[in-house]
Amino acid sequence: MIRQRRPARVSAGILLAGLVATAAVAGLAGNATLAFATNLACWIALTESWLILSGYAGYISLGHAVFVGTGAYVFVLTWGMIPVWQGFLAAASASGLLACLIGLPCLRVRGPYFVILTLGVAELAKNIVINIEASLGMFGRLLMDGPGPRPLFLLACGLAAAAFVLSYAVRHSRLGIGLLAIRENETAAEMTGVPTVRLKIVAFVLSAIIPGMVGCVMVARSGYFEPLQIFSPQISLTIVTTCIIGGIDDAPGPVLGAVFLNLLSQALWEKAPQLYMVILGVLLIAFVLKMPDGLYGWLMRRRRVA
Amino acid sequence: MTWQLLLSACVSGALYAVIALSLNLIYGTMRLLDVAHGEFVMVGAFAGYFLVTLLGVPPVLALLGAFALNGLAGLVLYQWLFAGIIRRARSTESLESTSLLVFFGLSVILQNGAALAFGGTPRAYERYARIVHVGGVAITGNRLVAMAACVLAVVAVLVFFARSTWGLAIRALIANRDAAAIVGIDTQAAFRLTCVLGFGLAGYAGAVIGLMQPVSPFMGGQYLMIGFVIIVLGGVGKLVGSVVGGVLIALLETVGTQLTGPNYRDILIYGTFIAVLLLRPQGIFGRHAA
Repeated sequence: MIRQRRPARVSAGILLAGLVATAAVAGLAGNATLAFATNLACWIALTESWLILSGYAGYISLGHAVFVGTGAYVFVLTWGMIPVWQGFLAAASASGLLACLIGLPCLRVRGPYFVILTLGVAELAKNIVINIEASLGMFGRLLMDGPGPRPLFLLACGLAAAAFVLSYAVRHSRLGIGLLAIRENETAAEMTGVPTVRLKIVAFVLSAIIPGMVGCVMVARSGYFEPLQIFSPQISLTIVTTCIIGGIDDAPGPVLGAVFLNLLSQALWEKAPQLYMVILGVLLIAFVLKMPDGLYGWLMRRRRVA
Repeated sequence: MTWQLLLSACVSGALYAVIALSLNLIYGTMRLLDVAHGEFVMVGAFAGYFLVTLLGVPPVLALLGAFALNGLAGLVLYQWLFAGIIRRARSTESLESTSLLVFFGLSVILQNGAALAFGGTPRAYERYARIVHVGGVAITGNRLVAMAACVLAVVAVLVFFARSTWGLAIRALIANRDAAAIVGIDTQAAFRLTCVLGFGLAGYAGAVIGLMQPVSPFMGGQYLMIGFVIIVLGGVGKLVGSVVGGVLIALLETVGTQLTGPNYRDILIYGTFIAVLLLRPQGIFGRHAA
């Protein structure tokens, strides 16, 4: 059927375009473009992962930065002791485990309790890490001899591609159908035999793994680890706004949103960070009220009518 | 020494009860997931601060002024934003998730707007600084006034909901919104009143905080979390539950940090949240399972 083929073609097209762009940037781009592209890739990885639970099942996670921070912290703690790729695996496992710990009590009950907890858990984790660091006598950690900007860029693109594919795969699988059912009407889903709790927890864990690794890339890029930055609520807010702007129904949505917002932040972040946040808030409200399907949903609807 | 702790817990408990009560009104009645409630508290705190320092209003009147300002803001927001969301929502879940995102955006706008307008440094004013001796314990005048103000507010609200017609109407809405509409309750008017009360009380609480502590644009987050933990503990829509929960959480916080250490405050509070979700998700006074 035409409608089912189109999302696949759009997503495949985006993936292909992404690969081409990656090759081009890796080969030709200067440092500024490389930095922008690495940023973009990181955000795509984060937002695609977020979509898995929060977009498809509607269980909005407002503190997703906690996985970025956890992954980064585990990476930093094991820096120098084990090979970098093992550090990445450790970070991913830690984030996944954290998602399990949070999800098991909170995804069992319906309602907004999950959301409320995610709102505070990033702050909680930040405070815990700050306390641990203080008791160890550390105030920020430096990472020496990390990978250079080009390998990190390729890594970020790899994560973005993996997240995109994962998000798409989940969306068009039985897991995805179950999650969408939960989003539409959880009671009805339970009645028809959807194992809601299990699916939610699986989705949550899946949504946490790649952000953990993105956290590693972020600290490796900047060369230092600072709890206030890596657990920042601004990261969580940007993820949510990006997905609402881009579209939460299928994989290409966040890509659109990420490109839009990254271009916007290029213009504003340096000069007026608080104004940028206010604009993000306004955009979020505007899109929630006026364009709840996001840019991707709007584009897809226009194509169908035409 | 224990009496000192208990008195301190009483002050916090009264404050938390007001915050939880106001949040419960917004969420319990209209099912609006107000994650910007901490920011409304912050706005009230700044309102109180400026009323006292710029206009020279006596702090007790400033509390009422903050209530009025916030209540007005709540009314405007209701007409402009929330009424439309409530009307268009297909189900409770979609209402909750839409309102969640809208309030999330609001909280960011309020926080950063305040930071842009007033700067990030905390501000404070000093009044009633004299130390008063109650029984065997000492307490500063401002904390005593704060506690009295909060207790007064809680009693006033509970009496309003127990005795007055509109209070009854709102309780009916909390219990079953459709049935309340069928028996002829003017839902829109009741929601407007709830918004004024809910956001107004948040502002009132904020101004009370301003009596005791410095105010800053980012102070709201912790009160939001405490508010929701208390609501979960007491039961959504259960007003008495919010009051009892507020006192319990304050006791837990004060005694708990005394036993374990100030760094464990967050862990204790979140731990309570998770424990309630695991053991009794409907809360102490809640009736059906979540």
